[in-house]
Amino acid sequence: MEAAISSILFYLFATVAVLSAFGVVASRNPVNSAMCMAVSFASTAAILFCMGAQFLGIVQIIVYAGAILVLFLFVVMMLDVKSEERNLSNLPRAIIGVVIAGVFAGMVTKAALLLPDATAGKCPVKALCCTDYDATPDTTVAEGELSGGALPELAQDNADVKSLGETLFSQYNIPFVILSFALLAGTVGAVALGRKIRKD
Amino acid sequence: MEHNVLASILANSCDTACCGMWFYLIVTILKLVLVFAVILAFVVLSVWIERRVAGWIQDRPGPNRAGIPLHLFQRFGSKEEQPCKKLLHFFGVPENCWIAKLFRWLRLDREIPTFGLMQPCLDGAKLFLKQELTPSYVRKVYFTLAPMLVLGPPLVAAAVIPFASGFSTPFGDVNMCVANLGIGPLWIFAISGLSVYGLTLAGWSSNSKYPFLGGLRATAQLISYEVAMGLSIIPLLMMFGTLNLQNIVQYQADNGWTILPLWGEGLTWERWFMMLPMLISFVVFVTCVFAEANRTPFDMAECETDLVGGYHSEYSSMKFASFFMGEYAAMVIGSALVVTLFLGGWSIGFGADAALHAWCDWFAVICQFAMFLIKLVAFIFFFVWVRWTLPRFRWDQVMKLGWLVFLEVTVANIFLTAAIIYFIN
Repeated sequence: MEAAISSILFYLFATVAVLSAFGVVASRNPVNSAMCMAVSFASTAAILFCMGAQFLGIVQIIVYAGAILVLFLFVVMMLDVKSEERNLSNLPRAIIGVVIAGVFAGMVTKAALLLPDATAGKCPVKALCCTDYDATPDTTVAEGELSGGALPELAQDNADVKSLGETLFSQYNIPFVILSFALLAGTVGAVALGRKIRKD
Repeated sequence: MEHNVLASILANSCDTACCGMWFYLIVTILKLVLVFAVILAFVVLSVWIERRVAGWIQDRPGPNRAGIPLHLFQRFGSKEEQPCKKLLHFFGVPENCWIAKLFRWLRLDREIPTFGLMQPCLDGAKLFLKQELTPSYVRKVYFTLAPMLVLGPPLVAAAVIPFASGFSTPFGDVNMCVANLGIGPLWIFAISGLSVYGLTLAGWSSNSKYPFLGGLRATAQLISYEVAMGLSIIPLLMMFGTLNLQNIVQYQADNGWTILPLWGEGLTWERWFMMLPMLISFVVFVTCVFAEANRTPFDMAECETDLVGGYHSEYSSMKFASFFMGEYAAMVIGSALVVTLFLGGWSIGFGADAALHAWCDWFAVICQFAMFLIKLVAFIFFFVWVRWTLPRFRWDQVMKLGWLVFLEVTVANIFLTAAIIYFIN
């Protein structure tokens, strides 16, 4: 029953995510595109929730849907961009776009096929979140409560936050620091660009 | 063959795992209904508190007349001329004694008093019955979507707030929190942050200048204060070592509330030192909650003096009411979060929780729920008190406070907490 529900939810959210991602490209109104992108982000976050990666899901909502996309919307509305004009006759540009999209799609497909039991017809979510795909994922809260998880210490309390932090600050510490510096440089650059330059 | 299958299904449906599943589903639905009812009741109640306290602060009665008038009963066939007077006669109380005067002062001779509590209901009825007017120049889809996006998120965000501890039944343990997620406060930030879409879209889709400016202001303000809000709870999380709200409250029940650590191990030196960063966090967080809920002194988005009505200028009837309900729901959720993180949530305090649990689980849960509601009402009162006391900030002052004061203070506070934990504990 649990497996069926998580499969249904996965396919539901995946369909919504793909359809709304298509809407981002297909829509002519920039505000419609931005809202489609928000829906796409939200359904991706929902898939992450289904996999038990609650922290990643919520960060997806806070950072992308809650902050970055709102700024997109902000700028689009401020500039009052009208519906863009179609320019399909530009063949070289279309070819470049198709090549980039194709390479990226190939990469994602390859990665998906490398997952354990991806070709065995099992639910991809199950395959991702536990190697033994017949077992229920051990990180869902409902499961913890069902098995009579005691109240003071829920067995899986912030398990994914903890493991994420430990991995990030030990195994991937140096890339993390380098990325932080890149972000800092970006922030300083934005402040420098946005600063009012005095004439005197 | 068929019989065997049926029998095995029947046998399986009654085993413990399946029973646990049904129990879990039913209990979750009951908790959902309870939380939803409490939030909506508090939206109505906080409107009433707002108007009563505003009246009190401004030295006027406030809404006190919306009682149930007694002549209504006569109209529907009651023969009683003056029930109150008859009642006094029945007990032999003279006309001019103090009880009769008190009754008259409470207007009991004219109506059944409700202390103005009928006012929010009548307001709601009025808004339902008003004409729904959609201007012809708006962008219809987003104009309709915006009020939903404002009202929905606060109601969803309430799912992670624990409103009592748990108790066990023969079927399994019950945790008095709809979704006991391991990321409690982040869930509330993320979901209530989504209501910014409603404000922005309302401003934009109205296709009119003042609402648009109101929407832009709301967006900028919410995003700015979200940063300081997120950073201000990091010292708390360093102290608790968990993101689960139920565990956070349990910790406070055992060791003393965050800003009132009087029981547990007692007042050791470490706890006195920890009080400083916690108080800084408390002040910053409460201010950010005010800003996030778009309330005076931070209601730049609906500042009447510069923006007519702000982002909801073009709205009427129930769409307008949904904006207001959304604002009050955000206020209730913000108060609940402050109470949960800083004021001990459902914990009764002074070690009473453990004692009550030892005596009777059910009674303890009911007491804790009542305690949570009392704290919530007290904090909503504080919200209203601030609103009617402080004047509105100027727009540039709001931005400066967010980016130049709170951001720096919260980052310094994180380092201070880390130093205290490293050197003293």
